[in-house]
Amino acid sequence: MKKILVVEDEKMLGLLYEEELTKEGYEVVVVHDADAAMDRVKSEQFDLIVTDIRMPGKDGIELIASIMGMRKDIPIIINTAYQSYKDDFMTWAADAYIIKSSSLDELKEKIKELLQES
Amino acid sequence: MIENYRFQPSNFNPDSPKEFVLLSIIAQSFFQPFSLEDNLLIILTALTSGRGIGFNRAMLFLKEGEKLKATMWLGPRSPEEAEAIWTMLSSPGIGYAELVDHNRDLISRTLEDLQPKLRALSFSLEDENLLLPALAARRKEIILVKDALNEPLVEPKFLDFIGMDTFLCLPLIAHDEIMGEIVVDNGITRAPINTKDIELASLCALLAGNYIYTTSLYKKVVEMEKMAALGEMAAFVSHQLRNPIVAIGGFTQQLLDNPCNPERCQRNLNIIQQEIKHLEKIIYKLSHFLKIRIKEPTPIDFKPILTGILERTDIKAKSENKKISLRINQGSPSILCDPVYFEEAVVNLLDNALDVTPAGGRVLIRACPKNKKWLTIVIKDSGPGLDERDREKIFTPFYSTKENGLGLGLLFVRRIMETCGGKVEVQSRPGHGTMFKLYFKAKKRG
Repeated sequence: MKKILVVEDEKMLGLLYEEELTKEGYEVVVVHDADAAMDRVKSEQFDLIVTDIRMPGKDGIELIASIMGMRKDIPIIINTAYQSYKDDFMTWAADAYIIKSSSLDELKEKIKELLQES
Repeated sequence: MIENYRFQPSNFNPDSPKEFVLLSIIAQSFFQPFSLEDNLLIILTALTSGRGIGFNRAMLFLKEGEKLKATMWLGPRSPEEAEAIWTMLSSPGIGYAELVDHNRDLISRTLEDLQPKLRALSFSLEDENLLLPALAARRKEIILVKDALNEPLVEPKFLDFIGMDTFLCLPLIAHDEIMGEIVVDNGITRAPINTKDIELASLCALLAGNYIYTTSLYKKVVEMEKMAALGEMAAFVSHQLRNPIVAIGGFTQQLLDNPCNPERCQRNLNIIQQEIKHLEKIIYKLSHFLKIRIKEPTPIDFKPILTGILERTDIKAKSENKKISLRINQGSPSILCDPVYFEEAVVNLLDNALDVTPAGGRVLIRACPKNKKWLTIVIKDSGPGLDERDREKIFTPFYSTKENGLGLGLLFVRRIMETCGGKVEVQSRPGHGTMFKLYFKAKKRG
């Protein structure tokens, strides 16, 4: 079973992603900030990471930089409400950039695609 | 050996050399708050002050679109008025600042009378048959007109208005663009206009042109800042609204996919309701933030407001297991602010302080006069404190360390403090709590 780490500070959204992605047949771990995400990435194997950008404390961009600094080759999806971060070149390091929407189809589609590639 | 000199001769002396008087008057523009109108008035004053300096009267034209419009005319209306002004100016004790003030007063008194007549003096710079004075602006040339009655290039309407057949046209140019024009004459003394006066006047015109140019740049920058703030605001609002909307959409979809599990249904409906409440709160807070407008800070007695805050139910609920210690120094004066906004500013900070203070911890509120001018209110928590990075970020719009925080609270406090002429400072170190210091203007006694 493929294992996904979801970094989402909004608790209800975290719950939604957890349920929906579990239903898709993945093992899902939800954490609410970048530090917790780093702790998990250090100690566990993940097949894919979905992260928000704007979060209290360290933001998603810093998280991506830290993960890349660990030379971990995990596909990363940025899942955010902000369009504007697309211009931040650090977000180019991610494998996909998704604008949050009330439909999770795009997110599920991207996850499937990236997991097939790897 | 040392010799002492004063910075600026405070008194106007008509016997000083022209160049010196001119420079002294123009120096006044550096003492004014940045206002185009005042700076232009200073230039016109420099051009027309006193019997010995250049000119009696000056008219200012400004370019609006493709039109050159007369907007200000400075100078005595009659020989009697001129005599009265010049006598006044040569009386001892008149300083340069008074000179400018006098002219500001003169302009505002005569403006109503003159305005309709000035409005008639508006010329299109694109007019093929453009005449003087506007022609000088279009040609970007300084032009001295003599014997105007016999000069076909002079606009009769204008000649009628000033009633002088000798005048000097000074285009105001900056970065090769026309900003306006100044026309000066000696309508009272009828003295001839000499080359030296023209040279001095051309310097004034250069300055005036640049004042107008920098003001337009400044306006553009302000406009751009507003647009940037608006853009940031729009991004933030869409983010804040999008999270609850995604939750509502997602959990609704689950209901549609899976309608028969009653437990799940109930939970999802609860979540949806909660998120809608969250949306409402966001909209309420945003509109509240955008509404801050303090008309005129009034003296308020803040003591009962501070004690009242401690009685608020929201504060009481938050301060359970925590101690709030309030101390107001004896002899604290009234302060200038709006009572409602004062309370909101303090509640905002107190609310933050209680959030980070652990159970059993303490929040201190201290009010004490700093000096005759200022009173400070300090709110200190016993929370974890902020590192340098967070300290820099806390006043950034929409930055928040709280879940569901909008990141507007401290910005709100700062806006309130700025609108009542005060300021807010923060001191914090990790492990030592955070202290906010509000500086309020103290009401003068007596």
